[in-house]
Amino acid sequence: MAFILVLAGCSSKDDKEASATSDGSTTEITLGFYSSGSADEKMNELIKKFEEQHPDIKVKTQNAPYQQFFQKLDTQIAGGNAPDVWLSDGVFVQKYAERGAAKDLTEWINNDLNKDDYYGLDFNKDSDGKYWAVPQGIQIGALFYNKDMFDKAGVDYPDDSWTWEDLKEAGAQLSIDSTGKTANDSGYNANSVKQYGLTFFNITEGWMPVLKSYGGGVLDEELRNSIVDSPENKEAVNYIVDGMQRGIFTDPSDLQAFQSPMAPFPSQTAAMRIGIYARALAANETGVNYDVTVLPKGPDGKRFSPVIANSWIISNSASDEKAKAAWEWIKYWVSEDEVQKEWAALGEAVPVKKSVANSDLFLDSGEKPDNKQAFLDSFDFAGTLDVNAVWSEWVKKFGDNIDRAFLGETSVDDSLEQADKDVQKVLDEFYNNQ
Amino acid sequence: MKKPNKKRKIVSYLVITLSAILMLTPFVTAALNSLKSYSQYTAIPVEWIPNPFHWKNYLEVWQMTDFAQYGLNSMIVTVLSVAGALLSCSMVAYAFARLDFPFKQSLFLMVLGTLMIPPVVMIIPQFIIFKNMGFLDTLVPLWLLEWLAQPFGIFLMRQAFLAIPKEYEEAAKLDGCSPFQTYWRIFLPMCKPQLATLTIFTFMTKWNEIMAPVIYLSSEEKFTLPIGVLSMSGAWFGQEQYLVAAALMTLVPILIVFLFTEKFFVKGASSSGLK
Repeated sequence: MAFILVLAGCSSKDDKEASATSDGSTTEITLGFYSSGSADEKMNELIKKFEEQHPDIKVKTQNAPYQQFFQKLDTQIAGGNAPDVWLSDGVFVQKYAERGAAKDLTEWINNDLNKDDYYGLDFNKDSDGKYWAVPQGIQIGALFYNKDMFDKAGVDYPDDSWTWEDLKEAGAQLSIDSTGKTANDSGYNANSVKQYGLTFFNITEGWMPVLKSYGGGVLDEELRNSIVDSPENKEAVNYIVDGMQRGIFTDPSDLQAFQSPMAPFPSQTAAMRIGIYARALAANETGVNYDVTVLPKGPDGKRFSPVIANSWIISNSASDEKAKAAWEWIKYWVSEDEVQKEWAALGEAVPVKKSVANSDLFLDSGEKPDNKQAFLDSFDFAGTLDVNAVWSEWVKKFGDNIDRAFLGETSVDDSLEQADKDVQKVLDEFYNNQ
Repeated sequence: MKKPNKKRKIVSYLVITLSAILMLTPFVTAALNSLKSYSQYTAIPVEWIPNPFHWKNYLEVWQMTDFAQYGLNSMIVTVLSVAGALLSCSMVAYAFARLDFPFKQSLFLMVLGTLMIPPVVMIIPQFIIFKNMGFLDTLVPLWLLEWLAQPFGIFLMRQAFLAIPKEYEEAAKLDGCSPFQTYWRIFLPMCKPQLATLTIFTFMTKWNEIMAPVIYLSSEEKFTLPIGVLSMSGAWFGQEQYLVAAALMTLVPILIVFLFTEKFFVKGASSSGLK
């Protein structure tokens, strides 16, 4: 209780450069993070080590389940009680930045971090070149494939020469209905599929990589206008819808039939998936014999891998003293080899520090997939999910419309036209009112 | 005369049995799911009966989280909430139903009006108030509001009190009861079914509540069960079988409360139809 009073009082007073080390006093910071199962224990261990290394800083943690964490955070920010430093899903960084809740870290990053040593710093940079957060771990997309299924069907494993058309062709040979016919046989029943070629799940692990590698996308470079209704997008969505109608890709209603939309690949009901790094956990758990490679190319040879840099954000309302202590924590997190190694061992995310990601510790950890290099190679053509302050809102509008086309309820043209209007409306409502 | 009656009985039992099976299916499926490993859980085609049974899931859930501590916290919040709701709602309702005071009707309309405010709107103001009172990261905000008479309970209890004939009140008065004594000794005991209803509703809402605990609690040792259960499934993990097992474990207290109050609950539901 006393602590809360301190917190409330702190933001107003002491602007002077109080160096905590010199006078021997301690700074207490609150650190918020969303729980992810067993990873919580490791997080608490790393925090303890940090406190040992920095006797002048005490860390008080706040955690909650993923979805609830962000609900709580929004309330805390509105109520002026946000944690001093928190872990944000990469897709929400701009939301906090553009609403003034995040501290501008550009200067500190320029002074204290050698940017070439880290993956993903630029994914948090806005169009003015400002940095708002520092990555905690990186999720990047690749193509997961089930080796046993490929062997059984006599199909060559995917490699970096594949286009999306190649994927569909191979997928057709790997799709099997309840009578044992493949999608290439006449009389294949797309309504009772036993094994899919590719499982397809909403934005990151679904339409975004396809759209982008076809030269399309959802927002323009400034992230203020919709570019949904473009010929490139039409081509890409036609490609997807065709795959779904032929029963090679899962459509949204197929996914509802599973106990979880993530289940088809680990349960060996789909031969391939577009997956971020963390998907290896579930696949390893169920013992799938699989590997990964880079995502296929679009018709013009363009490649795109979706990236989400989950990041540490410092609260804009933290006092100077607390912000500095929080910055110590972030530096400790990204630059200490020991921390990076411990976190990498969990297998949850690609390490932020390049030297650790490129070491055997990550690449040859003994866990599947063997070709982890594919994730690192994907950085060459990686991009964010057109993340801006109203990301969740426009994703929902786009998704609702595009799902109708996926389910064959509307034509591709109509759904893109409507999606374009709906997305633009969301953008205008936020940015025109600023 | 007897034959059609018997036939009707058979048909109604058949319908009841069938719908009971239908209602039980999700519950049984959940129970079976909670005894699977992750690969059994995701297996296609669905393995209905896990082979082998993973009874260990329950033990692991118990070890993975601080289940007992969360359960205790949930219990504190729920019991205090139920006590608060029963006391405050019935007192306010008695005043609205039986006492005369100025602006009674408009005040009652205002109380009903607050039912229409969506709870989401009130979250931030409430958060700020509790923050200024120094109650963040304590269990207080989770039960305190129930002591301030929530509109649904007031409405429920007022209807119950209104249905009691005026003669009881007059008789009590003649015997020398004060208004409070009338309320406490005569009226409350006559409204057991409604009190049972209110108990179950409050118990269930508070026991399952997730939003408020998430917002007000920060230290893990103060978490209530719903957050504890959800915390086990991270953003990235696919271990739904543990979630199901934990969810079933949290159901047990609700079942117990329901079994104890069922007698009154059914009576309350049926008698409300007769009046």
